[in-house]
Amino acid sequence: MSKDVFTDATIMSGDRSDDDAIVVMDNVYKRFKDFEALKKVNFKVGRQEVVVVIGPSGSGKSTLIRCINRLEEHDDGRIFVDGTELTQDIRNIQEIRKETGMVFQNFNLFPHLSILTNVAMGPRQVRRMPKATAEALALELLTRVKIPEQADKYPSQLSGGQQQRVAIARALAMKPKVMLFDEPTSALDPEMINEVLDVIKELARDGMTMVVVTHEMGFAREVADRVVFMADGEIVEVGTPEQLFDHPKEERTKQFLSQIL
Amino acid sequence: MTWVRRNLFRSVGDSLLTLVFGALALYVLWGVIEFVFITGRWEIIQVNLKLLLVGRFPEELLWLVSGSLMALGFWVAAAGGVAKHTSEKPPSVGAKIWNGIQRFGLLAGVGILLIVLSADWDSVALGALIVAAIVAGRLVALARNKIGALSRIPGWVWQPLLAVAPITLIALTLSQASIDLWGGFLINFYIAIISIFLSFPLGVLLALGRKSTLPIIRLISTTYIELIRGAPLFVLLLLAGVALEFFVPPDLSPGSIFRAVTVFTLFTAAYVAEVVRGGLQSISRGQTEAGKALGLSTTKLTALITLPQALRNVIPAQIGQFISLFKDTTLAGVALNVVDLLNVGTAVTKQDDFLGQGLIYEALAFVGLLFWVGAYFMSRESQRLEKRLGVGLR
Amino acid sequence: MSSLPSAPSKPPIWRDIRVLRWAFQLLVLALVMAMIYWLYSNYQANVAKSNIPTNLLFLDNPANFTIPGNDLDQSQPVRDAFVQGFYNTLRVAIVGIVLTTILGTLVGIARLSRNFMVRAIATAYVELVRNIPLLVLLTFMNLAVVLQTFPRIENAWLPLDLFVVSNRGIAIPWFEGSGTVLLTVLAGALIATWIVVKLRGRSSDSTGKPARGLLFGLSTFVILVIAGWIVFGYNWVLPFVDDRATSGGLRLDPSFFALLVTLVVYTSSHIAEIVRGSIQAVPSGQAEAADALALSGGQKMLLVVLPQAFRIAMPALGNQFLNLIKNSSLGATISYFELTQIAQITVGNGSPAVPAFTLTLLVYLVISLVTSVIVNIANRRLALVER
Repeated sequence: MSKDVFTDATIMSGDRSDDDAIVVMDNVYKRFKDFEALKKVNFKVGRQEVVVVIGPSGSGKSTLIRCINRLEEHDDGRIFVDGTELTQDIRNIQEIRKETGMVFQNFNLFPHLSILTNVAMGPRQVRRMPKATAEALALELLTRVKIPEQADKYPSQLSGGQQQRVAIARALAMKPKVMLFDEPTSALDPEMINEVLDVIKELARDGMTMVVVTHEMGFAREVADRVVFMADGEIVEVGTPEQLFDHPKEERTKQFLSQIL
Repeated sequence: MTWVRRNLFRSVGDSLLTLVFGALALYVLWGVIEFVFITGRWEIIQVNLKLLLVGRFPEELLWLVSGSLMALGFWVAAAGGVAKHTSEKPPSVGAKIWNGIQRFGLLAGVGILLIVLSADWDSVALGALIVAAIVAGRLVALARNKIGALSRIPGWVWQPLLAVAPITLIALTLSQASIDLWGGFLINFYIAIISIFLSFPLGVLLALGRKSTLPIIRLISTTYIELIRGAPLFVLLLLAGVALEFFVPPDLSPGSIFRAVTVFTLFTAAYVAEVVRGGLQSISRGQTEAGKALGLSTTKLTALITLPQALRNVIPAQIGQFISLFKDTTLAGVALNVVDLLNVGTAVTKQDDFLGQGLIYEALAFVGLLFWVGAYFMSRESQRLEKRLGVGLR
Repeated sequence: MSSLPSAPSKPPIWRDIRVLRWAFQLLVLALVMAMIYWLYSNYQANVAKSNIPTNLLFLDNPANFTIPGNDLDQSQPVRDAFVQGFYNTLRVAIVGIVLTTILGTLVGIARLSRNFMVRAIATAYVELVRNIPLLVLLTFMNLAVVLQTFPRIENAWLPLDLFVVSNRGIAIPWFEGSGTVLLTVLAGALIATWIVVKLRGRSSDSTGKPARGLLFGLSTFVILVIAGWIVFGYNWVLPFVDDRATSGGLRLDPSFFALLVTLVVYTSSHIAEIVRGSIQAVPSGQAEAADALALSGGQKMLLVVLPQAFRIAMPALGNQFLNLIKNSSLGATISYFELTQIAQITVGNGSPAVPAFTLTLLVYLVISLVTSVIVNIANRRLALVER
């Protein structure tokens, strides 16, 4: 294997071909004022692949996934989601947001709506499902994340772990092609981290395409197909969990891992 | 005993303060009591009661006002619903009565005062009917809780149903009695309510505009808000008094109440905008991001997520705005010659029967009392609401 | 890499998000412009019909009225009357702001007093005044107090033999001599005091002995002012009743007095609430830390709590100052010749209404803006000094 293999994030795991790429980022560049958040990022995520992104704070990993659903606007390069390119075209942006689901670090549930309404919001307002169908779907998803009994409560009445699971259900309700997780467990008390990770692991096992930004290495080892290490706005190293965690090749990777493992 | 010592006579200096201020307070209180019950000549109020309260409202249509009051009382009592007792022990009947007295005692007191002043059986009957309407409202609210058939009626049907009576009555009043004959306390309320109602959508639009990411929109909104906020309301009213006709097509001659409402609406909208802007700023950015990530359009995001929360958060501040507006309606009396309570109050001292008798004290005391009770009651209710909602934006 | 489409497709204009945003803005702008145009064309049509000029030339016309308390001649141009009105507005505004801050702060502190009586009276005061419309208070002050309660000049009250109180106004003892010189003396004394306080502070820093800045500063100020007084030959003049007027001293016009007292009382009730709220907003840990350091009650208030409370209160206080300035326009209802009253009178005398009132509004806007800027500077200074 040439040296490039472990720095090239466009090589997907398994023997996926380019036709299986759900997310394609080509030479993406993003700056905030005078800070370069993403420098020439090339990245691909394949169908049913689980990619975990790790790195120090400020490395650009959040910006990476936020560019995918246009919460941040990339300044240069091209981004494709399921064949649709992310441009200034408002229709494209809407399409892509329908196909991507995002789970935030701070859950961001809508506090003035019930849990059921929170989850049903997407299908009802964006996919224009009738209310009854949307709510049935919501209930089904709440069962899947194991909290159907909370349907009529309000977010403030739930624990952090429960809220995050509702957030996952809310994102799933749109039946997205790829799920984006932005440090889903970083704001949780330790005893609730596992209940959320279990839900995410089950999603992975059910074949959902995912990009997960996280610090949870154990989780990465269990479900990741690929782990991507980012620093200073660039993708530094890529590999399977065993390759990256146990045999890191780049200096920066080794440094980072030594600090957290 | 220790309470007295701790709060009144903690030290020598403290005791001195207590004595001095206590004496002062007693002196003032005695003066007030003397004025109200002994030396005050309240005839001027009694004779002009109708003028003070409703202006030159046509006599034969006064039942519309009475009816509206009853319907309003019924509606407020019924729409409030029965409070859900979240604490373990529901309050005793005695506690509930004491609570009621604290909340509505002042209003009831003023009502009784008005009845006593008018000194005729009609007003006693009216008072009794209003009380009856309120009791009926409470019973209906209770019934809705207890009777299965009623509780199954969905909220969006029940509320409008309750509102039918007061709204039809008010609409009737508006159409039958020419607005230019309205006056007294009634017109202060009416102008305030119409203005706050109309200014609200404009204020919300301005607030959204001020927070918009689109530069031209932001500029227009900010300019409007800052221009209005730098201008004294009185001068704007004067301007409207002499100049409004210049800005409408020729041959249209706006009446003074129309001018008043126009100015108050445009003025209050700028202040409402600032209040709503505070509410919008209190919504965390993550909310909008989550909405966008779901694919919600900006309009849906604002309408379903941001605005409902923002508006709910600023309800107390909004009520404060209404109270200010209510007090400011007195300016219309001077600037535009609207026959409001204060205007009538000063005018009646110049009537033939009362001229030159120094009755201005009695007149202003009555006027002040009515405004004070109105404003005080509303601000207490707002505080109560704030506590119940558990929100509070400074 | 090879599976990417050849070049990024340009979105059609009607779907391009940037185009949409600008189109929307321009649409709104066009609507607003259209509305302004409609209003303006109405205005032109009406003005043409009624032959009223729409420029500011009326400022050169003779005023045809006099202003009490001032030697404005009837024939002087309207412009001069406006300037006089502006001064009168400033007079009541500046004095008002100073007095209302003092009164409001005192009442605000009183509301937190441990003495029940003081607390109760302060609360009653605030609750009473806050809920009454300003105009009602002003009317009461004017019609009831000044015009009715105050005695006629023949039976004027002479409290302490120093003041003359009648329904023509209040006369207070005043100095006789050049006002500008006195102001310079005061300014000089203030500078000298400031220097003395700073020097005492520095000496206290190095020696550890208490600075007693208040004692030294106050004495310096008083000594310098008295010295200046004597040197420049100033005299106190007591007012007295002279036939049907008062002579000597400074006569405060009854409407000025009524307006000032009303504004001060009304605004101070709001300021009291703000001060109370901001004192309570200072984290209780601060007071506890002060206690732990064995600071006395006065020291705690002066050195720890009040400065922080003031910083919190500043924006809201600035707002109240602006309100006071705007509320001074109500002086027109009691014939105090401030800016609005002047405008009303000249319009009554034939000046064109829209330009006159627009000019008035602009002046108020400028005053508001200047005050806002001053408040903002104060805000920033307070924050800097603390950090």
